[in-house]
Amino acid sequence: MNREGEADVLVIGAGAAGAAAAWSLSQRGARVVCLEQGEWIPPERRPKSHLDWEVRTRRYWSPSPNLRQWPADYPVASFGADPINVLLYNCVGGSTIGYAANYWHLSPSDFRVRTLDGVGIDWPISYQDLAPYYTRNERILGVAGLVGDPWSPPREPLPLPPAPLGNQGRIVLRGFEKLGWEYWPTEQAIATRPYDGRAACDFRSFCPFGCPPGAMSSADVTYWPKALKNGVELHTNARVREISLHPNGRARGAIYYDVEGRAWETRARLVLVSCGGIGTPRLLLMSTSSQHPDGLANSSGLVGRNLMVHIQTFAVGLFEDRVDAWKGTWGGSLSTRQFYETDPRRKYVRGFVMSGCPGWSPLNLALQLAPWGAQHHETLAHYLNHEVVVFLCGEDLPAESNRVELDWEHLDEFGMPGAKTHYTLDENGKRLGADMIDHGRRLLDAAGAVSVRDFGLSPLIGWHLLGTARMGTDPLASVVDSDHRAHDVSNLFIVDGSSFTTSAGVNPTSTIQALALRCADRIWQRRRDWQ
Amino acid sequence: MAYDRRQEHHEPSQPEALRIEYQLEIGRTYVPVGVDRTFAILDPERAETLRAWSSALIPADGELPAAGEIGAAEFIDATAFAAPRIRGLLINAIDRLGRQAVAHTGNRFADCPPDIQAELLRSFEVKDSGAAFEMVRDLTYEAYYANRRVLDELERRTGWRYQVAVEGTTMEDFDESLLERMKTVSPHYREA
Repeated sequence: MNREGEADVLVIGAGAAGAAAAWSLSQRGARVVCLEQGEWIPPERRPKSHLDWEVRTRRYWSPSPNLRQWPADYPVASFGADPINVLLYNCVGGSTIGYAANYWHLSPSDFRVRTLDGVGIDWPISYQDLAPYYTRNERILGVAGLVGDPWSPPREPLPLPPAPLGNQGRIVLRGFEKLGWEYWPTEQAIATRPYDGRAACDFRSFCPFGCPPGAMSSADVTYWPKALKNGVELHTNARVREISLHPNGRARGAIYYDVEGRAWETRARLVLVSCGGIGTPRLLLMSTSSQHPDGLANSSGLVGRNLMVHIQTFAVGLFEDRVDAWKGTWGGSLSTRQFYETDPRRKYVRGFVMSGCPGWSPLNLALQLAPWGAQHHETLAHYLNHEVVVFLCGEDLPAESNRVELDWEHLDEFGMPGAKTHYTLDENGKRLGADMIDHGRRLLDAAGAVSVRDFGLSPLIGWHLLGTARMGTDPLASVVDSDHRAHDVSNLFIVDGSSFTTSAGVNPTSTIQALALRCADRIWQRRRDWQ
Repeated sequence: MAYDRRQEHHEPSQPEALRIEYQLEIGRTYVPVGVDRTFAILDPERAETLRAWSSALIPADGELPAAGEIGAAEFIDATAFAAPRIRGLLINAIDRLGRQAVAHTGNRFADCPPDIQAELLRSFEVKDSGAAFEMVRDLTYEAYYANRRVLDELERRTGWRYQVAVEGTTMEDFDESLLERMKTVSPHYREA
């Protein structure tokens, strides 16, 4: 069952982090093999290549693995007082193939929430440690935006100009100005000009439902072509069953099933796990042995614990005039970080961001609002192309009781367990969520909305899956160290959303990829330890 | 034993109690919209009922066709063909609606006037515990809002340019002068 030879680095997972790390290590000359449980998604499978794209997004492109049921998907069940709606993709590019590409830096304060606000724990690294990697990543992807917002430390210019505002952006701007609130163009990993051989955005909107031109910087069109050119060996349809170990306790590689269900082992000097906030703890918990009966790298008992998902929802304003919601970039025009930091006048700690977005498309809106029968057409025409959406995203504090476990009652197609999430929103989160929605509604009111609705906090959106193998200095309180090396296994590294020590309150992909580039640097700097 | 009819207190299950999470069943299927097709699983009588049902959910309005006119019933039938486990739910629902129509009006559902059809469907929806109504409604909406004739008329009424999602468009560049006030705000990020 052994594959020929031994790689320098085995990367498990070809998503945002795995792609960045594989590219970075191969760029230096490391021999890298990557195992990805899913496959490549060709342009013609992307819904927005087709007129019936909205139907396709409810079938094979559903972000819920339970609904679309790709062969690579494992079941995910949700429990707890506030069960989350888990959304992710298992394929080359991972969940970036269906994200909105909002691309924030964390703030310096995000790395020090225990010190500053007395909650959570501090990260073992600082903003300054990560800043160069944010910049490197932005140049590789082609991130659009402007530096100069008042909430950020000084930083390098972004390679591309911000996305156009359009009518809906001007409406959001009107609200910000009327309230005297601060705002800035939303940074997005979208090529607003041709960039690095990729076509420019043509403003089809609804970015999560596939970007046929490849302007949206998903990992399959950014890092992977470069990594493959560097010689990275990418095996798709490779469902990893367990990380294998040498008798001395060091990682030896991984055992996986190929597309036909045949077991193979790929060996490497070093193993890097990048399967995401659910997939990473699932794999570690599946990798039991006499040395690690509770799962690999789990002596702290924290593998799968401290699941954070951000407190996310939408406020939606109805406007008399048409808003041209059919064009633009979907992830946002203008955003604000004005309410991001702890404010003693509010009854909670930490904060949130808001981003203006276009409204909903016909089928989506009809399913939300248009009753069947005689009133159907009038209702839809009342709302369609008259709504502006404000995306709201707030910080979610870590709690050990919020967790990912194996689900042996629901198996994938190769008999491996699914995942269970348990999640309960704490009181701080509930207060933050209510205030965040109130701010979103105020913004839309000020912009001139004739009415405002919101999506509430249930079910919580489970796009940002964080914290389940967190970084830290204390082996009793974290799974990996500041270099992403597992405390328990010297040649096992973990980098992806699970590495987040606290969640911050912004879309995480920018930070996930910056962490991956930094992790790859650390691995390379200490290559004599594993070569 | 589930199939042991000799057990005490045995009661046969009723089709009305059929509960299927149809979204899980159809997730793996994809059925193209707007394709000319005939019915694959429904007989003509049931097909006529389903066509009338879909048209009652989304009736015609001026240039906007009724859902039954643009192939919504055929789309639902094709979905049930591709996802066989929902067939029982669908056929049972059509039959229940048909029986309800005869019981209350003496006529087939398809022959009832629109206001009576709506009344029958409201009653059916309230009593439906198996999500059949929701399934037929959602699939009808899907077929309808992917139909070019519908989208053309919707564009005329609302300005929603549906083809942009597939073909793209152009927009004016971001106007940095809009940031005039913000550029006067001093940096105030929280130091750590």
